[in-house]
Amino acid sequence: MGKIFDPQFMIEIIPDILKGIPYTLLIAVVAFFVGCVLGLIGAFAKIYRVPVLRQITAVYVSFIRGTPLIVQILLIYYAIPILVRVINARFGTNYDISWIPAVVFMLIAFSINAGAYLTESIRASILAIDKGQLEAAYSIGMSTWSAMIRIVLPQAVKVGLPVFANFFIGLMKDTSLAFTAAVPEIMGQAKIEAGRASRFFEAYIDAALIYWGLCLIFERLVALLEKHVSKSEKGVTK
Amino acid sequence: MIELHGVTKTFNKKTQVLKGIDLTVEEGQTVALIGSSGSGKSTLLRCINLLETPDTGTIRIGDYQFDAEHINHSVRKQVRTKTAMVFQNFGLFANKTALENVTEGLLVVQKKNREEANEIARRYLDKVGMADRANYYPTALSGGQKQRVGIARALALNPKIILFDEPTSALDPELVGEVLQVIRKVSEENVTMLVVTHEMDFARDVADRVAFMDDGQILEYGDPKEVFQNPKEERTKQFLQRYLQRFTYVI
Ligand SMILES: Nc1ncnc2c1ncn2[C@@H]1O[C@H](COP(=O)(O)OP(=O)(O)OP(=O)(O)O)[C@@H](O)[C@H]1O
Ligand SMILES: [Mg+2]
Repeated sequence: MGKIFDPQFMIEIIPDILKGIPYTLLIAVVAFFVGCVLGLIGAFAKIYRVPVLRQITAVYVSFIRGTPLIVQILLIYYAIPILVRVINARFGTNYDISWIPAVVFMLIAFSINAGAYLTESIRASILAIDKGQLEAAYSIGMSTWSAMIRIVLPQAVKVGLPVFANFFIGLMKDTSLAFTAAVPEIMGQAKIEAGRASRFFEAYIDAALIYWGLCLIFERLVALLEKHVSKSEKGVTK
Repeated sequence: MIELHGVTKTFNKKTQVLKGIDLTVEEGQTVALIGSSGSGKSTLLRCINLLETPDTGTIRIGDYQFDAEHINHSVRKQVRTKTAMVFQNFGLFANKTALENVTEGLLVVQKKNREEANEIARRYLDKVGMADRANYYPTALSGGQKQRVGIARALALNPKIILFDEPTSALDPELVGEVLQVIRKVSEENVTMLVVTHEMDFARDVADRVAFMDDGQILEYGDPKEVFQNPKEERTKQFLQRYLQRFTYVI
């Protein structure tokens, strides 16, 4: 005891903090994919000016962008138990929220958050594909659905790739806020380890390095993916 | 053959762009649609394959007839399987090779199997002189080559009519010839075509009929020689004079 800084402790607890990675990735990946689905719905509601859905989307996007993520997390965290109680009272059911793991709350909160941001990115990516291709698809008798799935979206994904990749990396870092709900992701694990020995600085350095490492890995993966994408569709295939 | 009766179209409730179009293109005929910019030529083509929805009028494509008041999802689908379009800006699918651009409609719309679709596509790519570029993506093709793929894509669907909207206007001058040559070849093969064009030589030499459009109406319609040499309407004379003048300057 009494050391100002304890490098040995810092190294010792790394394996424990690494145990948080699966949770971090779980939240980031699930939120990203659910967010993509929500974002697609929102983007189409806006592009095709779907009545009602378009207004709902506008309020949704505006609210999520206009409030801090931590507030959204806390709202979801407290809203769901209340919702369950209301349902129980209303329908005479007896659902017990205590068996829902905290991570599920976080999956919901992060997905809703990601959906709002991705609505705008997906919309922009779709609109970046020139309308001539869509009209050409219609002119040969394709449905809007086929044209989207086969022609527009594959190109939109490529156009938006850098934006989506950056968003994912940002999302991965944001998942650190899930520790507020006692989810044992990287930050949650770091907090537990830190608390055990009252050595916070060491634990948080570990957490920082692990996040940094994850980001570097993903940036590398994205760079490879982009290279692969730009190589295909230039010129010729066999 | 296709037949239009009293087709009108108004944009934004105020600008009437088509003011009652009657037009017939007989089976196997090539009709050139000429007229000054903004006269409504593109809008007319787009009303035929329902990329725009006409307000009133009746359209018959082969033995399929519909009127503007009763256009729904299934009418659109029917019409689009019976027509094809060649666009000024090609409209090629950037994520598909030349071959895949042609097979797309055969696979997705006509539900042919891949072998059959590939075989048909290769036949038509060959027809437009693009067989050796079958595996090229549009980014690797010149404008003229892209447009020839666009023509192959339209032909492969075996439609009742092919609508061309200024197929050479976006091309560099030296590439116009190769595309016009392909269109000429196609027109000799009993394919029914309606071609919006500013190429007066092409209209005169290749078309079976010429329609002159002015301010949302077909002002003059007839044999190309007749229309070019003895235009009846004052507006047609003025229009042709402008082009003839340009022509003499070039010489
Ligand atoms: N979607 C639209 N909304 C509003 N106005 C339109 C629309 N499409 C065309 N117009 C108007 O309709 C008129 C006719 O347009 P159109 O494109 O049919 O002319 P065009 O004969 O094809 O001309 P060009 O030779 O320049 O291609 C123009 O005044 C144009 O501004
Ligand atoms: Mg036009």
